[in-house]
Amino acid sequence: MAHIHCTDIVKSYGAHPVISGLNLDIPNHEFVVFLGPSGCGKSTMLRMIAGLEEVTGGRIEIGGTDVTDLPPGERGVAMVFQSYALYPHMSVADNITFGLRRQGVSKADIAPRLKQVAEVLGLENFLDRRPKNLSGGQQQRVAMARAMIKTPKVFLFDEPLSNLDAKLREKLRTEIRRMHLKLKTTTIFVTHDQLEAMTIADRIVLMRDGMIEQMGTPDEIFERPASRFVADFIGTPAMNFITAQLEPGLIAHSGSIRLQLSEVEFPSLKPGQEVELGLRPARMDLCEPGSANALTGEVVLVENMGAEGQVITEVDGAEISFVTQGFRDLSIGDTVHFTIRPEHIHVFDPKTGRSLRKD
Amino acid sequence: MGKLISTTLTRALLALLIIVALGPILWTVLGAFKELRDIVTPVPKLIFEPTLDNFATILRNPTIRDGLMHSVIVVSASVLIGAVLGIPAAHTLARHARRWGDDVQFFVLSLRFMPPVAIAIPFIVIYLDLGIYDTLFGLILVYLITTISTVIWLAVPAFERVPHDIEEAAAMEGCGPAEVFWRFSLPLAAPSLFGALVFTFVLVWNELLLALTLAAQNATLPVVAASITSLGKEVPWGVINAATVLLVLPPLVFIGLLMGLLNTMVRSGPK
Ligand SMILES: Nc1ncnc2c1ncn2[C@@H]1O[C@H](COP(=O)(O)OP(=O)(O)O)[C@@H](O)[C@H]1O
Ligand SMILES: [Mg+2]
Repeated sequence: MAHIHCTDIVKSYGAHPVISGLNLDIPNHEFVVFLGPSGCGKSTMLRMIAGLEEVTGGRIEIGGTDVTDLPPGERGVAMVFQSYALYPHMSVADNITFGLRRQGVSKADIAPRLKQVAEVLGLENFLDRRPKNLSGGQQQRVAMARAMIKTPKVFLFDEPLSNLDAKLREKLRTEIRRMHLKLKTTTIFVTHDQLEAMTIADRIVLMRDGMIEQMGTPDEIFERPASRFVADFIGTPAMNFITAQLEPGLIAHSGSIRLQLSEVEFPSLKPGQEVELGLRPARMDLCEPGSANALTGEVVLVENMGAEGQVITEVDGAEISFVTQGFRDLSIGDTVHFTIRPEHIHVFDPKTGRSLRKD
Repeated sequence: MGKLISTTLTRALLALLIIVALGPILWTVLGAFKELRDIVTPVPKLIFEPTLDNFATILRNPTIRDGLMHSVIVVSASVLIGAVLGIPAAHTLARHARRWGDDVQFFVLSLRFMPPVAIAIPFIVIYLDLGIYDTLFGLILVYLITTISTVIWLAVPAFERVPHDIEEAAAMEGCGPAEVFWRFSLPLAAPSLFGALVFTFVLVWNELLLALTLAAQNATLPVVAASITSLGKEVPWGVINAATVLLVLPPLVFIGLLMGLLNTMVRSGPK
């Protein structure tokens, strides 16, 4: 049983505030990802929950116990570091069992637990080696085994995969996800990689400058971004943004572009209002000239992504990109028509950057 | 063919350099085992009947024996206390007060800019007042300045090379600060720390000026060895050579150990 409550967390280094009044509730069993650009305070937040960093203000509760003033070892949490932080002077087996041996758990009790985690993580053949004689992926597995064997209340991961190559990263990502489905231990996972966050999270906490910009399931974050910042941060290729004027009938108008918006999603919009439109490249596709919500542009560049291709076009002097499977028939200089459905268009307040979608 | 000549030339040059570098040392070592009449021959003798008389003379000579004794006591005490006080201090500086670390390092370096005489003379006055002039305790005290500061100077970077994450991972497993230091920081920094201690040892083992000015009856080996050379005309060359060998032996052994350690460290590569 370990839900996590963070209340009014403040953290500053000297006069420099890093986290300013953050509130966060993580239910038991949930896999939460802290996502955000580098330097937004993800690690700081994680390290405060771990107890490696003191809070400047606020309380942290884990499983109903106030742990704000407890040392890291007494919080019932285990952490996996980006650098793995294995003990170089110990064998893999000793690395994994150090915590248990330190607590005075008997050898007879440790042996089966070691065997079990080693099996789960495929480390049986490496137990006698020193960490430096393992590959990066194996070292990462040892770090995970070391965290798992203690059966903690909470797992904390700080960018655990960013030192691995793309292939291995994907593999371990799946393994971590699978392990969570089995163990159901409450987990916080820090990353700056939005794709990693989308694929692994039950819920994403998207952070910006020490504040939570949006909290929600990957679908919510992707389909209903609360702000332009979130919309811009999530999704590859990145979202297109167009400043437009609203006309009666909820038509957004900008140069040659005229787009019908969804009345259901944006009931509060008024004609004459200036808005910022967000168009996801992946939500657009080729269409016949004259179709509803069609945009017309000239192909500037075609990027082959395998099954699909990103087509970068110039519309009224600005670049707009979209993704299509039919990219192979296009060449630079062609005139293309592409369209987006009203319910896929995001509308933001150009001043505050907040989404104008109804709650 | 050209390559063969050039390697041969390089080898010859290297051999020459080694002879030039090791010649005097070799001559000293040989001299330590010669009788005086074998040393003062007009034609240098390479073949001779080796004798241990010189070493026996030294070890039987109470001045030299006491000097050796004093050296061992003073140097080991000051290095040991320097390590006990300096190593934890260095860890704290490296982890919790990085900005002071630089100042400490500069302070230590600045001690080495200063001519030793500048410390020696005020120390004579202070020591006479305190009644610790010409005592081993006084020597240990003054050497502690060197050993503590040198240990800190060299150990701060050694601890900085211990990854912070490892200490934090240990803390996550419930280790308190002292346990983290004993079980992780210290063993991981040990190779570099050993080097620091050897360097510190050599530094005080060879120290002459402070020992010369702050002690008379309680002279250390360098002081005694220096005094033998000024015995006048009847120079006991063999004894001098033996004394030199005795004096040089501990640092050489330590430096040999240090080099071996460095080699294994380089071979095992960075973590
Ligand atoms: N020990 C520290 N001293 C001063 N500033 C720090 C310290 N640790 C982190 N910071 C600052 O806090 C901010 C957030 O850092 P961090 O939590 O590591 O970001 P993230 O993990 O999101 O990339 C950064 O601006 C960083 O410079
Ligand atoms: Mg970070």
